[in-house]
Amino acid sequence: MKNNFLYTLAFAFILIGASCSDDEGGSVQQDFVVAFQNPSLSFDTSDTQKEVNLVFSTAAPSDGTVAITYTTDNAVYGSDADFTTVPDGASGQLMVGFTGGASGTSFTFNKLQDAIEGASKGVNFTLSAISLTDSNGTTPTIQGNTQLAVSFTETAAPAGTTSPEVGGPNEDNQVYVDLSSLTQTTAKRDSWDLGFYNGDAFRVTINGSIFMAVAALESTDIDAVTPTDVEALQPQVAVGTFDAANIDYVDAVTGDLEGTAIAAISETDADNPVYLVNLGFEVGTDTPDLGGVALNGEARGWKKIRILRSGSDYVLQYADLEASTHEEVTISKTAGYLFTFFSFNTEDLVDVQPLSDRWDLNFTAFTNEIEGFGSYGYADFITTNLLGGAVAYAVETATKAYAEFTAADVVEASFLDDQRGIGSNWRNGGGPGTLPSLKDDVFFVLKDTDGNLYKIRFTALVDEGGVRGYPAFEFELL
Amino acid sequence: MSLNKNKFFIYFSTFFCFVGFSQETPRVEIDSMAMQNLKEVVVTGQINKQSVDKSVFEVKVISRETLDRLAGNTLADVLNQSLNINIQPNPSTGKSSVQLFGLDGQYFKILVDNIPLINDEGLGNNTDLTQINLDDIEQVEIVEGSMGVQYGSNAVSGIINIITRKDSDHKWEITPYVQEETIGNEYGFFDQGRHIQSLSLGHRFSDQWYVNGNLTHNDFTGYLNDREGQYHPLNDGRRGYEWLPKLQYSGKGLVNYSGKNFKSFYRMEYFDERVERYDSLVRENFNPSTQTSNPTATDEVFTSKRFYNHLNLSGKLLKTLNYDISASYQQQKRNVEQYNYRINAREKFDVNSQEYESRKGIYSRGTVNDFFKSEKVSLQLGYELSNINGYSSALAGTFDGDNIERRLEAYDAFATTEIELGKRFSFRPGTRAMFSSQFKTQMAHSLSAKYNFDKGYQLRAVLGTSPRNPNFDELFTYFVDVNHDVQGNIDLKPERGVSTFLHLKKNFFPENLGWRLSSKISAWYLNVDDRIELTIVNESPLAFQYNNIDEYRTWGTSLTNKLAYGDLQLDLGLSFSGESKVLNSQDSFNDDYLYALQLSSNFSYQFPRINTTFSLFFKYNGPQYQFVLDTNQDDPSFVRAKQEGYGWMDGSIKKTFMNDKLHLTLGARNLLDISRINTQTVNSGGTHSSPNNGLLIGYGRSFFVKLLYNLNI
Repeated sequence: MKNNFLYTLAFAFILIGASCSDDEGGSVQQDFVVAFQNPSLSFDTSDTQKEVNLVFSTAAPSDGTVAITYTTDNAVYGSDADFTTVPDGASGQLMVGFTGGASGTSFTFNKLQDAIEGASKGVNFTLSAISLTDSNGTTPTIQGNTQLAVSFTETAAPAGTTSPEVGGPNEDNQVYVDLSSLTQTTAKRDSWDLGFYNGDAFRVTINGSIFMAVAALESTDIDAVTPTDVEALQPQVAVGTFDAANIDYVDAVTGDLEGTAIAAISETDADNPVYLVNLGFEVGTDTPDLGGVALNGEARGWKKIRILRSGSDYVLQYADLEASTHEEVTISKTAGYLFTFFSFNTEDLVDVQPLSDRWDLNFTAFTNEIEGFGSYGYADFITTNLLGGAVAYAVETATKAYAEFTAADVVEASFLDDQRGIGSNWRNGGGPGTLPSLKDDVFFVLKDTDGNLYKIRFTALVDEGGVRGYPAFEFELL
Repeated sequence: MSLNKNKFFIYFSTFFCFVGFSQETPRVEIDSMAMQNLKEVVVTGQINKQSVDKSVFEVKVISRETLDRLAGNTLADVLNQSLNINIQPNPSTGKSSVQLFGLDGQYFKILVDNIPLINDEGLGNNTDLTQINLDDIEQVEIVEGSMGVQYGSNAVSGIINIITRKDSDHKWEITPYVQEETIGNEYGFFDQGRHIQSLSLGHRFSDQWYVNGNLTHNDFTGYLNDREGQYHPLNDGRRGYEWLPKLQYSGKGLVNYSGKNFKSFYRMEYFDERVERYDSLVRENFNPSTQTSNPTATDEVFTSKRFYNHLNLSGKLLKTLNYDISASYQQQKRNVEQYNYRINAREKFDVNSQEYESRKGIYSRGTVNDFFKSEKVSLQLGYELSNINGYSSALAGTFDGDNIERRLEAYDAFATTEIELGKRFSFRPGTRAMFSSQFKTQMAHSLSAKYNFDKGYQLRAVLGTSPRNPNFDELFTYFVDVNHDVQGNIDLKPERGVSTFLHLKKNFFPENLGWRLSSKISAWYLNVDDRIELTIVNESPLAFQYNNIDEYRTWGTSLTNKLAYGDLQLDLGLSFSGESKVLNSQDSFNDDYLYALQLSSNFSYQFPRINTTFSLFFKYNGPQYQFVLDTNQDDPSFVRAKQEGYGWMDGSIKKTFMNDKLHLTLGARNLLDISRINTQTVNSGGTHSSPNNGLLIGYGRSFFVKLLYNLNI
């Protein structure tokens, strides 16, 4: 009996002993790295003030300051001289503070005097020290972009990073990015409907980022077209119907101006038919599952339109399907821009794109084609400014690593005569059970609108927490 | 730190030496195996508990002895060896489900003591076999074929009825055990392998009152294979586990009263499980400015809790009527904690916990029988009712971001009668009407018959039907965006399953019962009509919807033999079956039958002198085929795509010491070291096999040692 008891006790001991489990693995010693977001900053004649961003590798472990020194090239510090900074840098060093938990900080650079034509003028900033009130076990480190060259004249950025403000999982914006000037311009996706080409041709583009579609009707009398006339056609005039023929209802996915869904506007009014317009969707407002997108909100409905020419102007007639009268607006060509944009919401012109030579890439939702199945809506798409002369192609890292890729490796013939030179090739598509993800075995070569050659590598599709619509990339002038 | 197999053997052999010192005492006299077979008693589908031989149904039994020889802790550990059953493990969710006659877990029902066991996806269906602990189980009974009259809807391909222990010969029973297992070639005392500890207590207060309780801790630490675990910072597909870590606690309790004309038991179960899923997708978050990475990933921890309460009353009314009533409240809830993880900082953020899926509700089943004083005719009337509240979060399905909550009430009434015509022939017709809050009234029917020929040949014919109810995905899916239109269908009807089985059986034995051979030939045909499948309901714009459109049929034949000779026992089964799919949901299909072969065998030998039993289990699953449309040819045609056959072998040595008090079991699972099996696919290069994309079915050869102490007073 005693034996039995002992055995039971022994087992109980084993039971308890085996229930203990090991603890979590200790964390990796982390550096707290501070760097300039970009290694260069340039001013054109109209700019007078810019923020200089400093970024951290991780959230700041505590409050602290970064000490930054500078050297000058034909420039003098002072409010009555060439430049000043905020915080003050009169002493030759500025102390930029930050708070615990911040992911970066910044200081302001004021350009007071332009450079004399033909002479260089600049300030070179260097990170010199980081101090923290409490390092919390991290090691403050200066690494990466430790220097920043500020130029008082416009120069192409030699390298940089950009996080286009696409706007999260609803991908609210079309973002136009200019690499050489490190600038981005955003326009809400559903802020425009039609773009009227400002070049020699008379072409009209539709807004593929909200999945619009148009179909030419037999009629040339906009007031005579009734909802009954188009009832049968309506289900087909849409994106993503998986009908190969529906590709005719959207603009050429290559970006070729000749391929717009609306035919060239003829001088002869009788050749310009009425078009049935599917206005696509409003920008979505739902919050999707983590890693997903919710691009579309309510359907925006239908319009009928007819576009004519009047001298060098366009004349747009538009109306709701039920209407027996129509509105009419004359749209003139605007020099310097590729398109002049019109919105049915505001019934007015709207600003969308920057000047034609001031953007290289457009981050946007996009109406693409799946060969054999027709049009298909894409999130996270990137087009190049094909009409402005920007083209790109993809390089697999297996062929050449990003870091080792130089101007000598550029193959001119590889540039695609297609706005989809980057397209969706920078991400893996995902599928049932897998979310789309960053494709890390590929980078891109871009010839920008000024003829500069850049290599581009994408560093994010989602934010740190996995939320879609937060792309980021780095680039380097070749 | 993974342990190589040599080291492992050394570790175990020292273990063996240690216990080897304990004194050996003469073994307790046990019945010969031939005798044991004769006493097999089954509960499933019977009007009264009766012996296998008398049952009109053909019930397969996995005995406690077999469970022990396989050192089975969960149902998933033991069903691998059953003919016609395949286990489908899902490494990415950690679940394992049953496939029987080519139909998945939705068509198969798992019961405990005759009532369906709830899980987070259904009442009795879609059960995760790894969540069913076997520690207080007396035997597992398996019936193939549609059992709608006896067990209601969703019992199309068959049922498993788990019979728990409700009595003991001893006043006190204290049974602790520990079990250590490798997972493939991975083992470590705490951080790798499978670690099980269990304690059972039983006490008989009197001839009437018996209680028992059981606690089990089962820690499956996950299988890495070539993966690197939670802290891997690179996006090379190697983060996380190939088989997810899973930690289970199970507690059970029973109070049993057994009087002369009244019996009752109350049994409860609490089950708690934690499954960790570390995503292989790592966001490296390279920051070009600082030249640093801050890798993050989105991980999920699933925690499941199950409560099970079962009160059963049975006895005699008015001296003749037998009644048996079960009432039950059960619930199982699966919660998910989804969070982002900074891998270098070892830090969680954006933690979001919510209910993932759940089922809860009440269930009752009752029968009354023996209205007639006749030995020849017995009538059973019964009811079954359930009121189950189901919940499926937007994370668990595609419901347009909505959470689905639905109450399904079912009220069934059934009647069966067993009629003996002479000494040789008995038959048993039955019918059930199923009323529910969701679906139109369904009927299920059954007709079984048994005939005893001369020379001990028995012929059984069993015809049964059972519907399968549509699941949440089929009813409520809503996936509509600019490119897609896929929708569930609230108007779906239950699928209709019908099965027919024929069994011819004979027991061979000499007068002295020195040996015994039971042989059985079976043949079956099973048909599922109105099968629910996604089908195109509009060509342009393309739209899909679930509809009752397809048909599935399978037929097969099997031969099983059980031989007991002295201390040797040998089971051998062979089955050959074909399946055919009529896929009206597709543009075109090929409904030719595709055939497959299975063999199962089980050998055990007792050495009474050294109190040792050697066992070897082997099952061969022959190649399986499916039709795949090869579009690479000019004229697309259906080709047979092959899934390789494979063998699954388990073995163990069990030795008892100290007057049967101490049991030591050493063994190995998956001796043939199977992990992935090749499946042919069709792609641009034509038909070829793609070994990398094989079906994951195991984690390789694993070893276990189990040490059990049995204190009976």
